[in-house]
Amino acid sequence: MKKELIELRVNGRKHELAIEPSELLLDVLRQELDFTGSKRGCDDSSCGACTVLVDGVPTLSCTMLAMSCASDEQDGPDITTVEGIADHGALAAIQKAYGDWGGAQCGFCTPGFMVTVKALLDRNPEPSEEEIRHALSGNLCRCTGYTQMYQAIKAAIEAEQANR
Amino acid sequence: MSEFSVIGKRVALVDSAGKTTGQGKYTDDLSVPGMLTGKILHSPYPHARIKKIDTSKAEAVDGVVCVVTGPDAPNKYGILPVGHDETALAVEKVRYVGDNVACVVAESESIAERALELIEVEYEQLPAWFDPEDSMKAEKDWIHPQRPNNIEKDYHHVFGDPGKGFAEADVVMEHRYIAGEVTHAAMEPHCTLASFEIDSQTGQPGRLTVWSSTQVPYYLQHKLSIVLELPMQQIRVIKPLVGGGFGGKSEVIPLEIIAAVAARKAKAPVKITYTREEVFWAHRGRPRTIIDMKIGAKKDGHLTAVAAKVIQDGGAYCSYGVVTILYSGALLGALYDIPNIKYDGYRVLTNKPACGAMRGHGTVNVRFAFESQLDEIAAKLDIDPAEIRRINLLKPPCITVNNLRVQSYGLPECIDKVISRSGWHERRSKLPPARGMGMACSHYVSGAANSIIRSDMPHSTVNIKIDRDGGVVVYTGASDIGQGSDTMVAQIVAEVLGIGLGRIRVIAADTDLTPIDIGSYSSRVTFMNGNASLRAGQDVRKKIAAAAAVKMNCAPEDVMMRDDRVWKRGTAEPATNGAHAEQMLEKIDAPRGSVREVSGRVEGQTLRGSLQQKRKDEGPKDSMSFEEAVVSAIDFTGALTGTGSYAPPKDARGGAFKGAGVGPSPAYSYSAQVAEVTVDEETGEVKVHKVWAAHDCGRALNPVSVEGQVIGSVWMGLGQAMQEEMVWKDGLLMNPGMLEYKSPSATESPEVECIIVESVDPEGPFGAKEASEGSLAATIPAIANAIYDAVGVRLREAPFTPERVLAAIKAKHSEKKALDITRGDDPVTPTTFREHGGSLWFKGKGPQRHADDPSRRA
Amino acid sequence: MIPHRKNAGSGLWKELRSGLRKNMSLPSFKFLRPRSLRQAVDYLARHGNDLAILAGGTDLLPSMKQKLFTPGYVMDIRGIEEIQGIHVRPGAGVEIGALTPLSAIEDSEFIRRSYRVLHEAAMTVASPILRNMGTLGGNICLDTRCVWYNQSLQWRRSCGFCIKKDGDLCHVAPGGKFCWAAFSGDTPPALLCLGAEVEIAGPSGLRRVALKDFYTNVGDARMKIERNEMLTRVFLPQESVGWKGSYMKLRIRGSIDYPLAGVAVALKKNGGPVENARVAITAVNPAPLLVKGAENALVGKQIDEHVAAVVGELAAKMAKPLTTSGLTPEYRREIVKVYAKRAVLAAR
Repeated sequence: MKKELIELRVNGRKHELAIEPSELLLDVLRQELDFTGSKRGCDDSSCGACTVLVDGVPTLSCTMLAMSCASDEQDGPDITTVEGIADHGALAAIQKAYGDWGGAQCGFCTPGFMVTVKALLDRNPEPSEEEIRHALSGNLCRCTGYTQMYQAIKAAIEAEQANR
Repeated sequence: MSEFSVIGKRVALVDSAGKTTGQGKYTDDLSVPGMLTGKILHSPYPHARIKKIDTSKAEAVDGVVCVVTGPDAPNKYGILPVGHDETALAVEKVRYVGDNVACVVAESESIAERALELIEVEYEQLPAWFDPEDSMKAEKDWIHPQRPNNIEKDYHHVFGDPGKGFAEADVVMEHRYIAGEVTHAAMEPHCTLASFEIDSQTGQPGRLTVWSSTQVPYYLQHKLSIVLELPMQQIRVIKPLVGGGFGGKSEVIPLEIIAAVAARKAKAPVKITYTREEVFWAHRGRPRTIIDMKIGAKKDGHLTAVAAKVIQDGGAYCSYGVVTILYSGALLGALYDIPNIKYDGYRVLTNKPACGAMRGHGTVNVRFAFESQLDEIAAKLDIDPAEIRRINLLKPPCITVNNLRVQSYGLPECIDKVISRSGWHERRSKLPPARGMGMACSHYVSGAANSIIRSDMPHSTVNIKIDRDGGVVVYTGASDIGQGSDTMVAQIVAEVLGIGLGRIRVIAADTDLTPIDIGSYSSRVTFMNGNASLRAGQDVRKKIAAAAAVKMNCAPEDVMMRDDRVWKRGTAEPATNGAHAEQMLEKIDAPRGSVREVSGRVEGQTLRGSLQQKRKDEGPKDSMSFEEAVVSAIDFTGALTGTGSYAPPKDARGGAFKGAGVGPSPAYSYSAQVAEVTVDEETGEVKVHKVWAAHDCGRALNPVSVEGQVIGSVWMGLGQAMQEEMVWKDGLLMNPGMLEYKSPSATESPEVECIIVESVDPEGPFGAKEASEGSLAATIPAIANAIYDAVGVRLREAPFTPERVLAAIKAKHSEKKALDITRGDDPVTPTTFREHGGSLWFKGKGPQRHADDPSRRA
Repeated sequence: MIPHRKNAGSGLWKELRSGLRKNMSLPSFKFLRPRSLRQAVDYLARHGNDLAILAGGTDLLPSMKQKLFTPGYVMDIRGIEEIQGIHVRPGAGVEIGALTPLSAIEDSEFIRRSYRVLHEAAMTVASPILRNMGTLGGNICLDTRCVWYNQSLQWRRSCGFCIKKDGDLCHVAPGGKFCWAAFSGDTPPALLCLGAEVEIAGPSGLRRVALKDFYTNVGDARMKIERNEMLTRVFLPQESVGWKGSYMKLRIRGSIDYPLAGVAVALKKNGGPVENARVAITAVNPAPLLVKGAENALVGKQIDEHVAAVVGELAAKMAKPLTTSGLTPEYRREIVKVYAKRAVLAAR
C-alpha cells in the first residue's frame, strides 16, 4: 500500500513522516519516532501498556490509527507519551513517587500507568481512593497487585500540594 | 544511629527512573542497523507428523531473506540435562497447537507475515492426548518415543513409616483436589534480537550477540552453544530490562534459539517478538494438577502422616517438569513437623504447550490441597485453624524427615503477627453472615542447593572494580527482571564499603562482562548473588582498609567505613554524608569557570597531584574521604578489584535418594496469611476484602521491595484462586489473550497488608532470605478456608469461579430444584481430570467436532 | 461500528494467496476521513460494499488484527461534528450523537438524572480508557462475540474456522448452521428499556427505527442496516425521562471485560405502584432483548421480593446462553434470573 505523508504532534513537537494507512499509532511512535516508552503488551486492547494522551484523554495507541491523529485541514490532536510526562528534565512528582513507593517493579506497564495517572490528577487533583482504583482499572499490572501504586499516588498528591 | 546505613532502608529501585520515564530499554525497544524481522509459523494440529515442508513460494516473496525450518538446527536441547527433547523448529513431529514449524526472515513484519501464509506444510495427523489420566494409559502414539506411556517421570518416595503413622492417627482425611492451569502472563511479550559479528581474523561470521528477555542468560548461552555448535565463548548474551518473568522466562524459550538460527542463515541481525497469543503457546506455566491428599492426625492435633499422589498435566515437552514434580513432594516437608511422608508423583506428557516453572514452582497446588485439608482436620477436631498450625511447628535447627535442613524459622512469629493484625480471635466469630476469615501457611526455598547442571561450580560470582574517581562498578550475573536484584546488589556493596548508592553502578547480566550467575529462578538471587556481592565487597574493602590503615597509622581492623567516610576506630566519626552533600551542592552552584577545590568528587587527573600535595601537607590523620582511601589503596596495590562467589554448603544439599537433589535449600522463607471474604450465596460470587500476609524474609534488605514482592505474590495467588485458568478444547487454548485470561484488574484486587518478619538467617546476606515466591502458595488455601468459614462449603477445585461456588452452595443445601450448573461435573468432589482443563466451559468431553469439520478434512 | 457481512468460506484463502494478509498487524486498506455526514454518506454510496466504519475503534481494530475484517476502505468518522454530543431537546427528550464517547454519557449529569439505567450501563462498559474511546453508536453496532470467532487467523485455522467467518459450521452448537454468537453490548439493553430510536443515514436520506426493531437475533447478520448506511443518532423519548433504573452486569473482572450476562430495568414510578416498566437482557442471545411479559408483571404492582422474582423467571426464560464465552450457560442463565430480580429491587 502506498505511503502517505502525515504530520503528528507528539510531546509538543511536530513530526512529519510517511506511513501506510494501516499503521497503528503505537507502531509509529515506537518505530518511526523512537518513542519506545509506550509498550505493546497485548493484541486485544485489554492491557493498557500502550496508553497515551490524545488531547489529554487516555487512549490506547494500539487501538488508534496514526492516520486518525494526523493533521489535515485541521490540526491533529496533541499526543503525549510517557516521554512527555517528565518535568523539565527531572522526574515529575508521580514518577518520583512510583519509584519511591514500589509502584513500578518490572516497569513494563508503568508508562501506561504514568499517562493514566497524569490524566487523573490533571482532571481531579485530589481523588479518593475509590476514584484512583477506578481510574487505574483499565491498565493491567502483573507485578505489584496495585497496592503500592495507591501509596505512590497519595505521596505524589502530597508532594504536589507541598510544592504549591 | 542504626546498625546499618543502607541495608534495611526504603530505597527506590536503582533503575526506577528509567521505568517511569520510558527511557529504560527492553529488548523490543532495541534495534541494530540492518535488522530483519522473524515471524514463526505454528502448527495448527496438536499431534502430527510433518511429511513435507515447501518453503519455495515464501522464499520467492520480494523482501524475504530466508525461511528457517527444523533441519537448519536439529540439535536437541532442554533446560534440564535429563529433558533434552526440544528442537528450535519441529524436525519430525509437531506436538501441540502452536508448536514451532518454520520461521520467515524478512525486511519487515508485514512481508514476513505475508510469506508465512505461503509456506506449504503437509501433515499426517496422529492421535493426540489431552487428558493426563488417559495419556498415562497410552499404549502407542506416544508424544516422545523415549517416554513410554507418555510419562515424563514418576517418583515414589517414602520417609518414616507412613503406614504406622496413619494407623496411629485418630482422624484421617482423604480428598481429591484439582488446581487449574495458570500462566505467568508477564506484561512484556518475549523478545530476542540476535546478531553475528564478522571475525577480523577470518573474515567470516564469528561471535554471536543475543539480547533477550530472559531470566537465565547463562543457560541461554549454554543452550545456544549446543544448538548452534558454537563454543560458549563465542556467544554473548545480554539481558536488557525484562518486563516480568515469574518463571516464564526462566528457561530457553523457542524464539531465543530460533532468532539465533535465523540470524545465522539470514547473515543479518534478526529480531523476533512474540504476539500475546505466542506467549501463551510458549507458556511454561503452572500445570493443572490433581492431588489425592491424605493426612492423619491425633486428637490433640499433632500430624502423624501425610500421603500425596500428584499428577501433573505437563504438556508436550519436559521443560522443568522433572523438577516441578519433585518440588511438589519435597516441599511437603520443611513447613511443619511431619514424621511420616509418602509421595507418588507423576509428570505426564500431553499434546499441549509445555508447562514449566512458575512462581512458587511445584509447591503451590499441593500446598492448596494440604492447607485446605488441614483446615478440615482442625474443624473436625474442633481446634482453631491457627492453633493446629502452632501445634505442628518444627523445632529448628533441624533436619526434616525428607532431609531438608531448616535453620531460621520465622513461621511462629508469622502466625502470631497475622493473627493479631487481622483480629483473628476478636473479629472472626463476630462477622456478619456469609463473611468469613481463613488462614493458611506456606514456605519456599531461597534458591536450590543443587544447580540444574550438577557441578561444584559456584552458583553466583560477583566482581567489583573501583578506580581513582571513587566510582564503584559491580559486575553481577544476576538478572533483574523487575524484582530489584540490581538494587539489592548495590545496597549490599554500599553497606559493606560504607558508601552511598549514588556511587555505585551495577553492570548486570551480560555474559561478556559479568561472571556466571545461574539465573533468576527458585528465589535464589538475594541469597546467593547477595552473598557473592557481600564477599566481593569484603574482598575489596579489605584492600581499602589495609591502605587506609597505613595512612591513619592503625590496624586494618580498626578502619571504619560508613557514609562515604573512612576513619580510625575510637576517634570521632567525621561528618556524615548529609553535610558532605551540602558541601557538594555549594560547589556545583559555584560560578562556571571558578577554580574547583580539591575534592574526592573532582574528576580527572588533577586529583592525583592535588591529593598527593594535600597528603604531604597533612601527614597522618584520623579520617579521610572514601576517595582518598581508594586512591591510597590503588597507589598501594595497583588496580582495585574484588571478587566473591557463593556455593551452597554441603550440609544443605539434601539426601542421597533418587530425586533428593530438588527441595534442599540453604534457607526457607515462611509465610502465614489470613484472608477475609464475603460470599454471595445467591450467585456464588466471592469478594476478597483483604489479605494479611506475614512473611519471614530473614532480613528485609529493602522493605519497599520486600513488600512489593510479597504483595505481588499474594495477588498472583489470588488470581489463581479466583479467576485465572487456561481453558482447553481439543488442544486448542480457548483464551490466549489478556482479554479472556483474567489477570485481575485494580477493581477486584483487594488490599494486601504485608507484615515483614525478620528471622535473620545465619547464612543469608545480612540474614536475608527469599521474599518473592513463598507467599503465593498460602493465598489460595487461605481464600478456600475463608469461603468455608463464610458459607460452610469446601472448594476442592481452583479457581473458585462463581459457578463452582454456587454449585457447592446448592449442593450443601441439597436443593431439589437446583439448577445443574455444571451438568454432571461436580466441582465440590471432582473425580476426573477433565480433558478441557479444570474449566467448566465445556461439559464432559465437550461438543464433538462435526464430521465435516474442516480441520478434520484430509 | 462494523458493517455485518456474511463471508463466503473460500474468500479467505483467495485473499491469502493474493498475499495481502498479516498476522497481528492490520491488513492494508485505503483511509477515508470525512468531515461531514454528507461526505460520509457519499463515501458509503461509493465504497459501501468494501468499507468499515471506524469510530472509537475498540471493536473494529482488534478484530481487524485478527483478520475478522479485511475491508478495502476504512472510514474514520470521528471528524463529523454533527453527530457528536448530548443534545437536550426541551420537552422532547434527548438526542445523542452516535460518536458520543461512552465516558461522556457516564459524566453527564443530565443522563444520570433523567435516564438512570443508561448511565449505569455506560459506566460498566469495558474500562475507563476504552470508554474514552468507544462510542455509543459503536456499542449499539457492536459485533456479536464468540470464543470460536474472536481469535487470531492462525487460531481459527486450527479449529477449521466457524460459520460466522470463513467456515461453514458452528462449534457452539455442533453441526449447526446457525450462528449463536452473543451480542455483548452493555448500553443497548438500557436503551431498549428507555424506548430508544436510532437514526440511520444512507443514500436515500435519514430514517429512524425503534431500537427494538434494529436487531435480528442472528449471530452473523446481527442488525438491520445496509452496507451503504450508517448509524448517526440515538433518540430517547421525553416519556422515559425520570424513570428509575438499574443495570447489572456479570463479568469476571470488575473492569475491562465484556458482559457474560446483563440485565437492564427501567421503571416509571412516583411513590405509588409501577406505572410503566421495561426489562431487557444482553450477552445471552445474539441480540439484546426486551423481556416478554415483564411489563405486565410489574405495572400496577408495588415492588417486593415476589414481584421481582417473577421478573427474574421471565428474564431467565428469554435467555438462551450457549458456550460463546466464559462461565457455563447454565450459570449465566441462573444469573440472569438473580440479577433481574435484584435490578428490579434496586430500581424501585
